[in-house]
Amino acid sequence: MAGSQLKRLKSSLREQGIIGPQKSKKQRRQNAQDQKATNDKRVQRHEALASIREQFNPFQFKTNARGPKFEVTTSKPLTAREAMGINGRPGLTKAVGEERRRETLLVEMQRRNKVGGLIDRRFGEDDPHMSLEDKMIERYTREQQRAHKKGSMFDLEEDDDEQMGGLTHGGRPLFDDDDDVLPKDDFDGEDIPSGDESDNSHAERRVLKRQRLEEALEAAAEQEEGQPDRKKTKKEIYEEIIAKSKLHKLERQEAKEEDNELREEIDEAMGELRSLLFSRQKPGAKDAKDANGTLTVAGKDQATLDREYDVQVRKMAADKRAQPADRTKTDEEMIADAANRLKELEEQRLARMRGMAVEEEEEEEEGGKKKKKRASNDEDLDMMDAEEEEDQFGLGSGIKSNTKYRPTATELGFDDEDDFLIDDDLVASGSELEFDSDDMDEEESDDEDGSGSGSASDSEDDEFTKGLLTEAESKAGVFRLPTTTKGNDANGVPYEFPCPQTHEEILETFKPIAVPSLPVAVQRIRALYHPKLDSRNKERLGNFSQALVRHVAYLGDRFEPEWFPTLEGLTRHVHSLAKTFPIEVAKGYRAVIQEMDQERPLALTVGDLVTLTAVGTTFPTSDHFHQVVTPGMLVVARYLSQKIPRDLSDYATGVYLSILALQFQQFSKRYVPEVMNFCLNTLCALSHEKPRKDLGFFPIHEPAAGIRIKSASKTVVRKLNCGDCQQPEQARSIEDANSLKIAIISTTVSVLKSAADTWHKHPAFYETFSPALLVLQSYLSKSNSVHIPSSLNVKVTETSSALTRLLQISQLSRRPLELHHHRPVAIRTYVPKFEDSFDPNKHYDPDRERAEMAKLKAEHKRERKGALRELRKDNAFMARENLRIKKEKDAAYEKKYKRLVAEIQGTEGQAANEYAREKEARKRKAGRR
Amino acid sequence: MSGESATASAGKRKRTETGDKSKKRRKSGGVDGGDLQTQLQKLEAEILESRKHYNNVATLIELAQKKADDVSTAQAASETLCRVFIRLLALGNLVKRKDASEKEATVTTWLRERLADFREVLLSMFDNEKLALQALMLAMALLKAEAQHLDDKPEAIFPRYFFSEIINSIIQSPVDELRETFAENFIDEYDDIRFYTFEAIKDFLGRGDEVDEAIREVVFDMLLGVEEVPDSNDDIDAFYVEPPNKKKHPLRSLSQHKKQAQEAWLAFMRMGLSKEQRKKILAAVSTTIAPWFTKPELLMDFMTDCYNAGGSTSLLALSGVFYLIQERNLDYPEFYTKLYSLLDADILHSKHRSRFFRLLDTFLGSSHLPAVMVASFIKRLARLALNAPPSAIVVIVPWFYNLFKRHPLTTFMMHRVPRTKEEKELIESEGAADPFLPFEQDPMETRAIDSCLWEIVQLQSHYHPNVATIAKIISEQFTKQSYKMEDFLDHSYGSLLEAEMTKEVKKPPVVEFMIPKHIYTKAGPEEEQQDSLLVSLWDFGSS
Repeated sequence: MAGSQLKRLKSSLREQGIIGPQKSKKQRRQNAQDQKATNDKRVQRHEALASIREQFNPFQFKTNARGPKFEVTTSKPLTAREAMGINGRPGLTKAVGEERRRETLLVEMQRRNKVGGLIDRRFGEDDPHMSLEDKMIERYTREQQRAHKKGSMFDLEEDDDEQMGGLTHGGRPLFDDDDDVLPKDDFDGEDIPSGDESDNSHAERRVLKRQRLEEALEAAAEQEEGQPDRKKTKKEIYEEIIAKSKLHKLERQEAKEEDNELREEIDEAMGELRSLLFSRQKPGAKDAKDANGTLTVAGKDQATLDREYDVQVRKMAADKRAQPADRTKTDEEMIADAANRLKELEEQRLARMRGMAVEEEEEEEEGGKKKKKRASNDEDLDMMDAEEEEDQFGLGSGIKSNTKYRPTATELGFDDEDDFLIDDDLVASGSELEFDSDDMDEEESDDEDGSGSGSASDSEDDEFTKGLLTEAESKAGVFRLPTTTKGNDANGVPYEFPCPQTHEEILETFKPIAVPSLPVAVQRIRALYHPKLDSRNKERLGNFSQALVRHVAYLGDRFEPEWFPTLEGLTRHVHSLAKTFPIEVAKGYRAVIQEMDQERPLALTVGDLVTLTAVGTTFPTSDHFHQVVTPGMLVVARYLSQKIPRDLSDYATGVYLSILALQFQQFSKRYVPEVMNFCLNTLCALSHEKPRKDLGFFPIHEPAAGIRIKSASKTVVRKLNCGDCQQPEQARSIEDANSLKIAIISTTVSVLKSAADTWHKHPAFYETFSPALLVLQSYLSKSNSVHIPSSLNVKVTETSSALTRLLQISQLSRRPLELHHHRPVAIRTYVPKFEDSFDPNKHYDPDRERAEMAKLKAEHKRERKGALRELRKDNAFMARENLRIKKEKDAAYEKKYKRLVAEIQGTEGQAANEYAREKEARKRKAGRR
Repeated sequence: MSGESATASAGKRKRTETGDKSKKRRKSGGVDGGDLQTQLQKLEAEILESRKHYNNVATLIELAQKKADDVSTAQAASETLCRVFIRLLALGNLVKRKDASEKEATVTTWLRERLADFREVLLSMFDNEKLALQALMLAMALLKAEAQHLDDKPEAIFPRYFFSEIINSIIQSPVDELRETFAENFIDEYDDIRFYTFEAIKDFLGRGDEVDEAIREVVFDMLLGVEEVPDSNDDIDAFYVEPPNKKKHPLRSLSQHKKQAQEAWLAFMRMGLSKEQRKKILAAVSTTIAPWFTKPELLMDFMTDCYNAGGSTSLLALSGVFYLIQERNLDYPEFYTKLYSLLDADILHSKHRSRFFRLLDTFLGSSHLPAVMVASFIKRLARLALNAPPSAIVVIVPWFYNLFKRHPLTTFMMHRVPRTKEEKELIESEGAADPFLPFEQDPMETRAIDSCLWEIVQLQSHYHPNVATIAKIISEQFTKQSYKMEDFLDHSYGSLLEAEMTKEVKKPPVVEFMIPKHIYTKAGPEEEQQDSLLVSLWDFGSS
């Protein structure tokens, strides 16, 4: 734009139509008539002038030197400010800041170092014309104003209604101000119009309000018609909003009024309605309403009625619901059930053997439901895999992962004694009659003569518990301690026992009883302290079973050959107790195993052998992991692997343990390397000749002197017994030693045979047993075979030929390994994270804390800068003010000084004049003279 | 004491000598426990008082010699003597001077002879259990004094002869405690003592005369007891006797120290070693012995001999040989063949198993080894695993995994699909024979790479659940990069059991549902049930 500032101003004024060619008179008149337009025009003019003013002040705006930073296209129309890229109005802000400082800082400055005073908030004190009443009115209005200011700054609705703080209930005013029905003073009543302006009635006000509103709306409508394009000013917009809200309020009030009217009508009709309603109810109880008005039903009063009702309800709640009785099953069904149950148990065993979770199935079974929801094999493996990843196979501590999947006796449903009995009914079908009628004597005989009445005492499940409960019931109608029987029976076994809690107590209690009658004693203790008889019995029997485990081991250590049926009986008792007290019994066994491990890992006694055997029968040895069997198996393996036998008894113990280890694995067919090592080493050690070196990869220990067999061809082959496992007090005679050696060899060969039978399906069977074959063949060599009896020779020959056959089969059936037909593992993928509404100015820090920290820091920085700036400005302001005050002071002083000087000069001049005049006069006088 | 007065008193002493002697002897004859102390004090005071009482020295020596019958007297006397001699040495009375008169020279010589007598007495005390420790302390104190003052030089001179005498006596003494004290208080404390000890031992062993077994054992223990090689010359700063000022003196140089140690060791090894000593040396070679050697190459023959010896000696020599190969560029031909031969039936049962596996892991750690050889190692170990304890299997299998990862060619041992139709038919008709040659010595010729790891598959049904689970890793996908061997190395039956037993029984364990009718007794003929293995093979006396 060219031209001077003035020219530009002129042209822009002309553009806006503010100045222009002079209007004719006619035009002017027309304009004046157009009243409505004038007002608007003035506003318009004002705006235009303001914009021009802004335009011509180059310091009014802060703009970007190079225009807006980014070219942006939006749907919204750009304001002038945005179009110019205006960032701020420094002039305006400065002015505002200055003003604010003047209000606050300046005041403070002036008051500084001055003594503070009272602010007199009283009114009318110095106005003698105000009467007391006026003062009161004034105070009231001020109070009202204060209350009003607090709450309703933006309250559009309440602005012209009366400000009634009033009483409220539950946040609502007690008296709805629009409610005409509410009692009011007659003075305030609408129908008596009062001349008082302050008592303006609601109706009147409403009417006024409505009028105002209508006017405003009309005006707005007209404006819209007139200038549809022009933007409304803020004031107009707010006015509109206010008007609208008032309209809404009005509508609400009208609706309410209508409701009230309706209610009034109903209220009036209430008397009739009530009579109608009660006349319906009354006929049932004619005289129910007595003089006092309390209700009675059927001659009873309310309280009694309520009480009776409560009693009835309680009775109903206490009533047992009728349950359908179990249908009596036919024999076939019972057999089928039993078979099913066995099958299920077998399946569970197989699952445990594979080390899988059986828990869910157990639970389902407990509930008696048949739906099978088997955890899929793959899933299971995955889980185990994951756990392994974490704890590295749990060699140190990771075996927990396995225990997680152990089913429990509780889950199997053996925990509860009742369940136990039901099981019993299912399984031990034949035993029921006998045990219902007979008592323990029957069992005694059974235990005493061992296998004699084996079939009679069908010990399928628990003849023990079975017998004892019925016995207890028969003795005392209700369950209570059978105190009637006292003294001893024929075998010298007393009928009453304390319940031994520790092994010491057991020793004490069982001292007078002969070992063979112990099962009877145990039986009686179990009957006397049956858990049904006393709540504490459960704990007692638990402790007793724990102690009993130890006692069996104790007896085993001091064994006599004829005690084994007794040990068997006791072991079976422990087993049956284990069904009720699995944890206690397991703890008992584990304690004994731990003792073995810590005190005599390489010198196991007969008692330990008995304990380990009992472990094998009591607990399922085929499980992948078992809290008792696994440690027991480790103890066995440790002996077999680490014991370097010195005496023949060591060999015998080892052979027993080998048999045991093999028996443990009969079902699951797991491989036990230690058994192979021990058997082969034993055979090599006992053979007459020192075997060749290259038999295989099992370690050979050179035997002690006198272990190798020599000229025992005449010895009779016998079986080993537990006595052979103990070191004799004096050295064995040559015959005894030879007989023992032959027995060891013979048994070892049998063990090898059955080991081969057990493991012949394993893929490395050939590698495992070809050394065994070599060892056996070395026995058949001429130099060896002359030293062993011919019957044993035959046995060895048979075994070796059987082995050869098995080896051939395994060789033929073996296939190359193809272990890795896995599906290829997919590369892991992740879904990318998208931000729906991405804003480049925002920070998307995934770390919440860091993001918050950054935010705080930024805010702090900003605030700090702001505060500094403010302080600087304050200082400048203060300096300025001080300067101003000083200047004022100086000016005042100067003025005063000048005035004084002038005054003095004036006086001086006057005096000088007087003097001159006097001098003149004297001169003249003198002249006269 | 000034020189003049000394000569003057020397003259007097000569005269009174005989008379004094007899008096003292008489007195000393009647010594008893009570006034022994006072008498000794008197003798000591007199000696220090003037020269004419020097003969008291002889009396004291006599007293000290009677150690067998009177321990306390001997102790007290030797203590007094030591004090006296140290005092005399400090006064310079034992120093031979060129300018000294004849008489003076005679006195000095006489005193020196007495000093030698006293040394002998002290050394002979080393054999006495009660006196030995005190004698050692006195001898060492005397040694220090001698070093300082025996010669007229400002610098101390280490009396090597006396020291080697001490060492000899210590070695030959029957008192074990003596050696322990010496090692603890002197060898470990002072660098120069250690230096001269090595020297003395070397001389002692190098004399060429036959040394009996017990003494050899003693020397071995002493040598083995010396640990802590100093790091640099500056580290050598603890001296018992004031060190020579010269910077270049051998005592101040680390290499000289090492040289002494090395020569002592070599001298010892030349004596011939028992098997036990050999093992001990092997166990300590890389940690204690080799650092003392300036030229560890000198150990090469010893190490290779041990390595070739076989058995556990080879196992132990392995680390030493490895040290030499790695650090000293030892060329050991057919190292891997030898290593392969170490994998015998006993290795997995050996107590050095974890040590061996750590080394084996290092040896087979290279990915540049031929896969054929690696396969041989794998297959041989797999064979051995069939007879191994669980703790060994637990090591082997993850190690295999690592090897498979490193040598993908060997994975054919786990997964071999017959490729041709003929091959398939052959396998169908004859089964898969194992081509592995178990007794082949050369790991390159065993044909293990053509074999399969049936053994590990069999171990997947090991009786111990964790072992079985670990064995299963070879048939699962190889998603893991490698296993850390350290996690698997140190296990035993004991630790496995402990891991089981430390856990409380919280969940009720499963109990066998059926209570067996017979555990020890035989089943009756009418029962269908079969006897258990135990009952059929064992005699429980009930049949």
